[in-house]
Amino acid sequence: MAKYGMVIDISRCTGCRACMEACKVENNTPQGSFFMYVFRFEEGEYPNTRIWFMPRPCMHCDNPPCVKVCPVGARYKMAEGFTATDWDRCIGCRYCEVACPYGVNYFNWRNPAESHYLNWEDDREIELILDGEVLPYANPDLELEYGPEMRHNAGGGRLKGVVEKCTFCIHRVENGLDPACAANCPTNALHFGDLEDPESEASQILHEQSGFQYLEDVGAEPRVHYVGGHPPTTETREIEIVNVRV
Amino acid sequence: MKLTRREFLKLSGITGGTIAASSLLSGGLKTLIAGAKGSLTTVDERTPTTCWIGKQECGLLVRKVNGRVVKIEGHPAHPRNQGTLCPKGISQIMALYDPNRVKTPLLRTNEKGIPGEWEPTTWDEALRIVGERIKDVRARDNDLLVWQKGRSKAGNFYDTAFVKASGATKLHHGGFCSDAGYRACEYTIGLHGVLHPDFRHARYVLSWGWNATNAGGNKLCWLTWPRQLVKAREAGMQMAVIDPRLRGAAHFADDWLPIRPGTDLAMALALCNGLIEEGTVDWDYLRQYTNSPYLVNEEGNFVRDGDTELVWDQASGMAVPHDTPNVDAALEGAFDFDGEQVRPAFQVFKEHIAEYTYEMAEEICGVPAQKIQKVAQDLGENAMIGSSIEVEGSVLPYRPVSIMAYHMAQQELGFQAIRAMLMVTMLLGAVGAVGGQRSDFTWKIHGNYEKLDEIEIGDPPYNIYLKNSQYFPINSNNSSLVSWVQQNPENYGVDTIPEVVILHMVNPLTAFPDQRVMIDTYKKFKFVAAIDPWLSKTADYFADVILPAATLEKYEGPMGVSDQYTDAQSLRVPPVEPLFQSRGEIDIYIDLCEHADILYGEGGYIDQINQAFRFEEDFALPLNSKPATRDIFDRWARSEGIEEGVEFFEQIGLHDKGSVPATSYYGYATDPVFGGAVHRLYGESLLGYQREMRARGVDEIYWQDYTALPTWRKPTMDLSPDDYDLYLISFKMIEFKQSRASQIPLLAELAPQSFLEINPVTARERDINDGDEVWVESHNAVTLETRRVKVTAKYRESIRPDVVGMPHHYGEVARHPWAQGQGPTPNELFFTGEGYVANTADQSFHVKVKVSHV
Ligand code: SF4
Ligand code: SF4
Ligand code: SF4
Repeated sequence: MAKYGMVIDISRCTGCRACMEACKVENNTPQGSFFMYVFRFEEGEYPNTRIWFMPRPCMHCDNPPCVKVCPVGARYKMAEGFTATDWDRCIGCRYCEVACPYGVNYFNWRNPAESHYLNWEDDREIELILDGEVLPYANPDLELEYGPEMRHNAGGGRLKGVVEKCTFCIHRVENGLDPACAANCPTNALHFGDLEDPESEASQILHEQSGFQYLEDVGAEPRVHYVGGHPPTTETREIEIVNVRV
Repeated sequence: MKLTRREFLKLSGITGGTIAASSLLSGGLKTLIAGAKGSLTTVDERTPTTCWIGKQECGLLVRKVNGRVVKIEGHPAHPRNQGTLCPKGISQIMALYDPNRVKTPLLRTNEKGIPGEWEPTTWDEALRIVGERIKDVRARDNDLLVWQKGRSKAGNFYDTAFVKASGATKLHHGGFCSDAGYRACEYTIGLHGVLHPDFRHARYVLSWGWNATNAGGNKLCWLTWPRQLVKAREAGMQMAVIDPRLRGAAHFADDWLPIRPGTDLAMALALCNGLIEEGTVDWDYLRQYTNSPYLVNEEGNFVRDGDTELVWDQASGMAVPHDTPNVDAALEGAFDFDGEQVRPAFQVFKEHIAEYTYEMAEEICGVPAQKIQKVAQDLGENAMIGSSIEVEGSVLPYRPVSIMAYHMAQQELGFQAIRAMLMVTMLLGAVGAVGGQRSDFTWKIHGNYEKLDEIEIGDPPYNIYLKNSQYFPINSNNSSLVSWVQQNPENYGVDTIPEVVILHMVNPLTAFPDQRVMIDTYKKFKFVAAIDPWLSKTADYFADVILPAATLEKYEGPMGVSDQYTDAQSLRVPPVEPLFQSRGEIDIYIDLCEHADILYGEGGYIDQINQAFRFEEDFALPLNSKPATRDIFDRWARSEGIEEGVEFFEQIGLHDKGSVPATSYYGYATDPVFGGAVHRLYGESLLGYQREMRARGVDEIYWQDYTALPTWRKPTMDLSPDDYDLYLISFKMIEFKQSRASQIPLLAELAPQSFLEINPVTARERDINDGDEVWVESHNAVTLETRRVKVTAKYRESIRPDVVGMPHHYGEVARHPWAQGQGPTPNELFFTGEGYVANTADQSFHVKVKVSHV
């Protein structure tokens, strides 16, 4: 069985945030919700300054604190490596959000229809095109159930009062496609694949280059690995911050 | 799991028959144990088309479900983007369905100069009104009509056809972008472009003001260059960065030289001087392919026999025509010719730049001398002068060093600065060599190579952009300067002020400096029509009529989409019908021309389209019946030998032309070498223009940079009083492009507000904290005017302490919920006119400012 993970090559990342946008459109996430977030960092003092970028999806941890605290089993671990969220089951207690050391969980404070960027509903012509969908680009694939357990675990922007996060694009992976972020990265910085398979591109990159895991010492055992750089330190300052709350 | 370019081409049999792109991408490969439950009773299809935001026309596959666009992805076989997109490309889906687009033709009902009040009207009525105005001014004087466009997307045949059919004066955006660099390269090596590397073979690149992680570079948008950059770096390429800010190059910089703005010319000449001192010079190249050996007399003119320039033959000790076979031409020394001292141009150059030592450059540029010296040494070493390499069976000179430079050309000394930078790689023999300096994708010599060398300065009256004038003999046609001239036409020998302007997807009020001048000028136009999907600020304040254009849902093209190594052709085809009442531009122009009586017959719009495409015989559009836009492209495709016609593009999206052969790519491999152009180290004609300008009595500020060799002087802005102690520069962000992106909510969310980058040391001296509101006040050293904006300060250790920076492209669209309160554009602080434009009329984006706490 394939067991998926992601290897992120920091040396290739240009901080363009196209991955964030590919994710948003693919997964229909509402305003302020970034299943993928790209940090833009500055270090050092002029003129010995360094700028670098760090994409941050959900880490899909093998020892996931979020799963342990979920009282209803809505957050669950799949044998294929995914840390999944069943949006149908989520009760919005936000324990996962608190437990996660990485800040990748987003609570839908509002009905997503009200935080989908623009008012799509007051326009007759748009309404005709949308035919009842909230977002003009609503992705029908997200309605289906995925994985051996057949649960509602794809996409975002679903209901008010649930927590959502990166799904590793299970709806795409199941159909043989790379996750939206990885498929789109212009410089190929994101490598998704079967980390158990030594032949996969992701495994090979991980094998060839020394990597690190983000906040390795908290022991969550991320399935996302970084190569081509170093972890952020206390000297690392974030610049061009995107406000993640609406 | 990613469909590669090769796989796509194989699957689609792209050179042969057609297969719908939609049939290539249905997944099928199940990797999980169970498949998805449920079935989609839907039509799931993919339409190939072309990005509508950026300049490089990335290929798209638009996924539609039941006719509704649900995702825009990169076209896997497109040479430039290979299945990927930048954040703008992805996000344009929201622009397509944005209910804030201009939905119907609009007529203004209130006075101009304030936000408009609009009344919807029919296309027929709107076109009739605009058509009447065109007819009216054309009947009096063609010069009364101006047509202005921002960046043209998708080739410009239909623009040109309109300009020719109507006789309008054309204004565009080049004078703001990089045109000073284009002129420098056209003049010096005959190529239409600025500077970029041959990344496949590059070992050492000087990224000179290249905003690699945010903006395009020469000829291409952001996306393709970083792809090539990352590959090259993984193959070992080193990159030194000359830029007041590090943010652009980020971690791709191996070395950073934070240069003082406006001093690039001095740095380049110091590098030239260093290379000569270190002896890392490609003498063979200079002797054979440049005018370096041509003898220059004491007045600065070439010595000629008839029309032929002479060189000093070292074997015979005589001046002989430069094309004498087996001549052993001297590059250095001084010789006696007919009782006059003559020197090879290279000797003149060498003496001219001798004062540009590393120490002098340190003083001017604010970068330590050793750092500049290190760059000169790295350039010299990596150039591997004398080496060669085999490419596609030919052995060619191998000089894997080059410069990437583009937008930085827009500075007061821009034309000569780019010339000086080109001279750095000329000395190394890197121009056109493998791994070396590039300026265009192929070695096609541009008409300006000759034209710019033989300009005949005319007598007034001049047209509004001062073409062939005594003020700007080489002239990039800068719309800011046009507005400036319109304020006081009598000062420039201009006697016809246009009355009617057609704005096509252009927003001068926000996009161009100086904003106050822009406002005054557009107020004076008697009639303004805007063709745009958005209510631009300019349209909101000044348009009489707005014609709603479609975004990407239209036919446009054709486009050449080379990534410099692989060539292809593409079209923009509508994935859905134009939304609301919007229409594709070509449809709009056809109907507009009909209303203006310039559609049919010889010289009309249809005829101009025939000429633009060289449609002959069967392919020619009949001059007496209105063509359908799709039919124009169908004819074009067939005339190119594509049997399936436009359908080919509707299905596949891309006509692959294969890899660019070395014989058109490398200057040394073309026949004749370098397309036959002699590279102009020495600019004799530039000096000629100076003489004529002086003879005509124009002020020094116009002629001072018309020198045969680039010559450093302080930029005019440095004359501002000392309390304007900081330089303001501007930059682009990856999120935005011109007036097409800052209102797209997905992008505006990422970068909601304009800001001022300031070094913390500079900020603290002024009691400014990170995130504080500050005043930025600019000063015009010529007119003594000032301008002021309020903006949020952001601490950055990645910018020089004497420099502050602001991003472009905020607040372009009026009354859009996501463009509200985005904050100021730096164009409110920059000036135009004397001192703030180059000798080629190109706009400068530099000014001295002071910054204080609000
Ligand atoms: S798309 Fe790629 S290069 Fe751009 S920010 Fe994401 S990971 Fe980095
Ligand atoms: S894997 Fe999918 S859900 Fe996760 S960050 Fe990437 S695009 Fe978003
Ligand atoms: S790089 Fe330019 S052309 Fe390509 S997707 Fe982005 S905006 Fe469009």
